Amino acid sequence: MNIPPFSVFSAISELFVTAGVFYVIRRNWTRQPFPFALFLTVSLFEALVNVMYMANRSAAASVPGTKEALSTGMKLAYAGHGLLSLVAYLVFVVLGVLAYQEQKAGRWFFRERPALTWTFLVIWVISIGSGEAIFTLRYLV
Amino acid sequence: MSGGDPARAGNIVPFAPPRARRLRAPLLVLLWWLLGIEALGGLLIFFMRLAAGAMPGETIHVIAGVGLTLAYVVYQVQHWGRVAPWRGRLDYALGLIGAIAMGLTLATGYVLAWPWWRVRILARAHDPIAYSSFVSGAHNIMSMLVLTFVLAHLAAVLLRERAGRR
Repeated sequence: MNIPPFSVFSAISELFVTAGVFYVIRRNWTRQPFPFALFLTVSLFEALVNVMYMANRSAAASVPGTKEALSTGMKLAYAGHGLLSLVAYLVFVVLGVLAYQEQKAGRWFFRERPALTWTFLVIWVISIGSGEAIFTLRYLV
Repeated sequence: MSGGDPARAGNIVPFAPPRARRLRAPLLVLLWWLLGIEALGGLLIFFMRLAAGAMPGETIHVIAGVGLTLAYVVYQVQHWGRVAPWRGRLDYALGLIGAIAMGLTLATGYVLAWPWWRVRILARAHDPIAYSSFVSGAHNIMSMLVLTFVLAHLAAVLLRERAGRR
């Protein structure tokens, strides 16, 4: 099967974005200065490249008479992954802003809220993992 | 005095900080409701279009979108009149990104509403509408950016105010 180059790029870059997300949280967790430039880069890249790509692919896949013949299960997976990605992105940016503001006041947002932090990380991993799984099932299996 | 408490004069209202009063202003409450309806309706359409090829609530989404545009324009004009001039702060930057994303969301929404208007209103047909996948994708992502940066902007403003009170 011919894999669209941007799908490959997106699948790989998501792993780097995930590394960036974990790094931002780890810095805060270990009481080190908030890497605002990295947070901003990761947020903008994720929105303008990966989430935009996902939204476009979803929109293209739902056009009536599309060339992409998808099974019902794959359609549900696309829709579920799309929703989760959007929500995970929204939560990451809001939590990052809160952490940045709190750190200026000498507080460590993620460290002081382990339940919230771990819940977010689990959601993020599921979001990224489902995207990688869809990529694998669609193009590599 | 009544029951040991001093009686309140009729012309005295309980003190509420300006921010608390602004957050309860009818226009802002209306804006939150319209934004909520659009966000939930948009997510439902996004999911159902992909999963089942259906677009439930498409008409409500368009009508509420028009209402949102009007409420947002009035709110933003008032809001900018209060917070201008521009300051190099995180809450301002987040608010600007949110405003740009809102403008692009509404613009792409109207681009998508045009074929809807022609098919559903002018032709009164129930055929599937050939929405542009690029504009549709852009509308989805911009909508999510609106929610993201509006919430982040609000969080930054409230935290900043809380820090200032300490």
